[in-house]
Amino acid sequence: MAQLQLKDIRKTYKNSPEETLKGINIEIESGEFLILVGPSGCGKSTLMNSIAGLESLSGGSISINGRDISQVPPKDRDIAMVFQSYALYPTMSVRDNIAFGLKIRRQPRDQINAEVSRVASMLQIEPLLDKKPSQLSGGQQQRVAMGRALARRPKIYLFDEPLSNLDAKLRVEMRTEIKRLHQQLNTTIVYVTHDQIEAMTLADRIAVIKDGELLQLGTPKEVYETPANQFVASFIGSPAMSFIPITVTETDQGLAARVTGANRETLRLPLPQGLSPYLGRQITLGIRPEHISQPEAARIEHPLVTRAELTIEVTEPTGPDVIALIRLNDVAVHCRLNPEHPARAGEPTQLMFDMARTVYFDPDTGQRIG
Amino acid sequence: MHDTNTRPFSISRVAIYATLIVAMLVYLIPVVVMLLNSFKTTGDIRAGNLLALPTTWTLEGWSKAWSSACTGVQCEGVHGFFWNSFRMTVPAVLISTILGSFNGYVLSKWSFRGSNLFFSLLLFGCFIPFQVIILPMAFTLGKLGLANTLTGLVLVHVIYGVAFTTLFFRNYYVSVPDALIKAARLDGAGFFTIFFRILIPLSTPIFMVCLIWQFTQIWNDFLFGVVFASGHGQPITVAINNLVNTSTGVKEYNVDMAAAMIAALPTLLVYIVAGKYFIRGLTAGSVKG
Ligand SMILES: Nc1ncnc2c1ncn2[C@@H]1O[C@H](COP(=O)(O)OP(=O)(O)OP(=O)(O)O)[C@@H](O)[C@H]1O
Ligand SMILES: [Mg+2]
Repeated sequence: MAQLQLKDIRKTYKNSPEETLKGINIEIESGEFLILVGPSGCGKSTLMNSIAGLESLSGGSISINGRDISQVPPKDRDIAMVFQSYALYPTMSVRDNIAFGLKIRRQPRDQINAEVSRVASMLQIEPLLDKKPSQLSGGQQQRVAMGRALARRPKIYLFDEPLSNLDAKLRVEMRTEIKRLHQQLNTTIVYVTHDQIEAMTLADRIAVIKDGELLQLGTPKEVYETPANQFVASFIGSPAMSFIPITVTETDQGLAARVTGANRETLRLPLPQGLSPYLGRQITLGIRPEHISQPEAARIEHPLVTRAELTIEVTEPTGPDVIALIRLNDVAVHCRLNPEHPARAGEPTQLMFDMARTVYFDPDTGQRIG
Repeated sequence: MHDTNTRPFSISRVAIYATLIVAMLVYLIPVVVMLLNSFKTTGDIRAGNLLALPTTWTLEGWSKAWSSACTGVQCEGVHGFFWNSFRMTVPAVLISTILGSFNGYVLSKWSFRGSNLFFSLLLFGCFIPFQVIILPMAFTLGKLGLANTLTGLVLVHVIYGVAFTTLFFRNYYVSVPDALIKAARLDGAGFFTIFFRILIPLSTPIFMVCLIWQFTQIWNDFLFGVVFASGHGQPITVAINNLVNTSTGVKEYNVDMAAAMIAALPTLLVYIVAGKYFIRGLTAGSVKG
């Protein structure tokens, strides 16, 4: 049970001209599962290493339960970390890997043995205890790496892309396993991932980082439905959100925008009244695949919902639904259709646009405006 | 693979084996000549040709080389010098290897301000020819009161060898993932615990490389031995030179050959025992994390 507070964390590597972390502020509740996402090189690992004490800070402070630990050496921070490469000690058996931290802390032998068995049974790795890491599969190594972290019963767990070296099926299994462990142990976890499905399914809150800055911190639902800016919107969600340049115009049924399809079909998209300050200006419409679907009677009466017939360019069946590609104002746009809906490449089909759920961005700043 | 197995007499195969056999002969002939002649009598050598088998096999040459041949003024064979070489080589190899592994650890995993400059300067040490340091080294040893002592000779070899061993270990440890060190630090391990419990157990191949390299270099060294040691303290390389150059009466090639074999045997033995690690350590530096 530990609350973790990151206050204006700054980090500049001594051999690098640029600041890698530019003032990160996050308060992580006790028992919270916080996920850090962001493009490669944005500073996620740097932030994790700073929390663990493996890198010194250039500014700001880190507190656990209100106690400033910025100057405390890593071994006394009571933090465990699971690395992407697992970092198992290659010359030690699985048992010794798990026990290493306890031995160094000079715990009594029987206590260490009890702890190793507890962890091994929790992760179902008892049969592996006497093997060397090189004799294990990737998934097994992953479990051992988690076991090593669990054995010390730390206050806070840090996971730096723990699943990215596993194949897709194993990754899904381990994801469930980690979620189960978190519910069981109820500890504070900070977790880095590239995989946004991992982020959406595991997180209590998601922190999106870019170039060493925190762009948005919120629940998966908040980050997905109301992204703070165009970058967050494009980073979260798969297939990604499409961005269409539109001009806000006034019609007798309220604000609207006129867009053109691939075959010069024009359609009128109703816009929310909140965009009236942007009347006559160009803005960016952010539209997710599920915002364009087959027409549905229950939704079609909504004032911000409209329908149109458009030509499908490509279809990609995924099983539960079909991702279809259309073109609006010369931008490729994904739609998520029911497989029962007749949609064939090169042919026109009826589509429903749910403009009540789309988002809008200022094209100059990239910030969300409605 | 399959192709070459089913056609054992392809031209390229024959060419490869022929080249290998020629190369092997080129390297083996001197050893064979030395061995054969070390078992001959002096008369036999003068009568027959170098490659012929001995007409009578005798250990005379070997026993004379070991215990009674003249090296300069004294005539006690090379055995004393053989042990000199041992007493010089073993500590020098061990000390330089241990220092090298420690230096390599610090340089690869705990880089400090100026550590790259430090490493570059150290590398410089690998390229300095022996001859350049003789005078300053003689001066330094004199100041330290170690001139003409075995300790002094060991010191010279350690100093000269540390540049190489540091290079070997540093390059080996660079390939050990940093995450391993981070994990150990979080587990509570300190500077020395990480070195002894994590890195040293990983280092067998590179230790072997260093041991062989250093043993060969130091055992075979002539120049430092001839300059920094004298009389009874000289290593076997110097003694052989003296033995061959001592001209009293007829040249005893059998004794010379036997003495040379005695001098070469320890390095040969080290290669046979640890050679496979040498190849492995040189090629596969990396450790899976
Ligand atoms: N030890 C270091 N010295 C200098 N610069 C570094 C060091 N470690 C990382 N950096 C730089 O800091 C930036 C952030 O690196 P970091 O490893 O934190 O990124 P990341 O978000 O974890 O990326 P990835 O998703 O690829 O793991 C990068 O530009 C990187 O080049
Ligand atoms: Mg990283």
